[in-house]
Amino acid sequence: MLKDLLLIFIGAVLVNNFVLSRFLGVCPFLGVSKKVHVAFSMGIATTFVMTLSAAATWLIQTFILDPFGLGRFLQYVSFVLVIASLVQMIELFIKKTSKDLYHSLGIFLPLITTNCAILGLALLSVNKTYNLAQSLVFGLGAGIGFTLAIVIMAGIREEIDSADIPEGLKGAGITLLTAGILSIAFLGFSGLISM
Amino acid sequence: MGKSIKLILILSVISLLSGAVLSLVYSITSPTMEAVALENQQKSIFEVLPGIESYREYKNDESMLIYEGLSKEGNVIGLAYVAEGAGFQGRIKLMIGMDIKSKRITEYKVLEHQETPGLGAKINEEGFKQQFSQKPWTEPFKVKDDIEAITGATISSRAVTELITKSLDEVLQIVGSDEQ
Amino acid sequence: MKAYKEFIKGLWDENPVFRMLMGMCPTLAVTNAAVNGLAMGIATAFVLFSSNIIVSLVKRLIPNEIRIPAYIIIIATFVTIADLFLAAYFPDIHKVLGLFIPLIVVNCIILGRVESFASKNNVLYSAIDAIGMGVGFTWALTLLGIIREIFGMGSIFGVTVMSSSFTKWVIFILPPGAFLTLGVMLWIINSLSKTKTSESHCH
Repeated sequence: MLKDLLLIFIGAVLVNNFVLSRFLGVCPFLGVSKKVHVAFSMGIATTFVMTLSAAATWLIQTFILDPFGLGRFLQYVSFVLVIASLVQMIELFIKKTSKDLYHSLGIFLPLITTNCAILGLALLSVNKTYNLAQSLVFGLGAGIGFTLAIVIMAGIREEIDSADIPEGLKGAGITLLTAGILSIAFLGFSGLISM
Repeated sequence: MGKSIKLILILSVISLLSGAVLSLVYSITSPTMEAVALENQQKSIFEVLPGIESYREYKNDESMLIYEGLSKEGNVIGLAYVAEGAGFQGRIKLMIGMDIKSKRITEYKVLEHQETPGLGAKINEEGFKQQFSQKPWTEPFKVKDDIEAITGATISSRAVTELITKSLDEVLQIVGSDEQ
Repeated sequence: MKAYKEFIKGLWDENPVFRMLMGMCPTLAVTNAAVNGLAMGIATAFVLFSSNIIVSLVKRLIPNEIRIPAYIIIIATFVTIADLFLAAYFPDIHKVLGLFIPLIVVNCIILGRVESFASKNNVLYSAIDAIGMGVGFTWALTLLGIIREIFGMGSIFGVTVMSSSFTKWVIFILPPGAFLTLGVMLWIINSLSKTKTSESHCH
């Protein structure tokens, strides 16, 4: 049981990293990775939403969609709605409880609604028929994997800023090439665990 | 307060409309989807059991779906069953054929999968599939030792291999206990 | 004249992939073969076209505060419709695209166009804008798919084009190949054109 959860966790963080091998959450990965501290805040906010939405969508699937046989055609609509309202609620909650936290994390929350990693995570957990505990661990691992990838990326990009790069490669080009090399590095994890 | 009630109302109306449209579209498309799935399943029985003339259900309950393939004379010459398990992205559903005379696997066919296009999706291509044909029922086989994994899709390859070995054991147990 | 301008911009000047860096998840994930890129492009274009039309029709009825959730519901509805139709009538394509059909919901091209264009323009221009952007997205994905398929599998649309002595560069159809191919293409494009690709419009 515990071993099972650990495997799911390591799988989501390293082996099948959401960004670098599943291509989920690539937009924030490219867009919000200029500075390490900003990237880290984005990662933490995403991890938080991912873990909570993994639980919320599991509840919806198990107690509403499955019993009434609605999963095939109401799944996408209900999941995006749940995720959007969850993000809104977290935003309101953080705003009221802590100003500092709101300033460091809150600004990223609206962007997270359209982060495909969140919806992707919810759909993957359903496809894999995870139970609640497995879904939570999967969500947490996916979030930490996302944070890891985006922070490493931001660290590299801070260095690249001062490097001499051909004019045409500056900006988007070099960012994608860097991501490609990072992705090769993460391919090395693919033999780490056997399912 | 009155304003937020109005907002909630509007959003509910939109959700209701969306739900109504979707259930309509679903009711139109679902018979076709089921027909396609059923046709695929029936066709796949003939594909994994070459040489059969007809088939009949051997066992059909929640745990297992097993068919018997019949020759022209009405003898059972093979078994075909549906196996389902976790892959890299989602569920993998296979139809697996067993030849009774040689006690070997004939081949398998992918009924459903959600593996990565171009990589894991190759579990549905001949190059990978043929490695399983003529494998004996009772000798377990493994990726790397007996089966060459698809490049870039080790997990999918392993998932299919394990699904086949595991389900084969289950089927043999069911069939074996029925015979005694 | 304006209609022509709204159509043509999506093909190159505001091409979602090569100039705006939008919709990166499907762009990178499904372009390991030409046919996958083409199918994904068409499915996305359908959802964009339908959502743009509906939103430009009902834009006055939706209060500003809830426009994002309302748009998301509309988009998710059309994605489900596309998903059901593909599953029923084109099961092979449906099998190939897999998880990335539902993820069209959160493709920022769609929400981006709906919010920045359809919510401000009439139905005709919104439809034309969607067709332009849809075609722009589709050709970009197909081109990426063709390049990756040639090097990675030695074929185009499944037809072998390389001689049998060609060693397949498998890295092209693996995840890193997606990043590297697009990176090199942006390098070439940005070296040749005066304006630069923006660094991600949606985060």
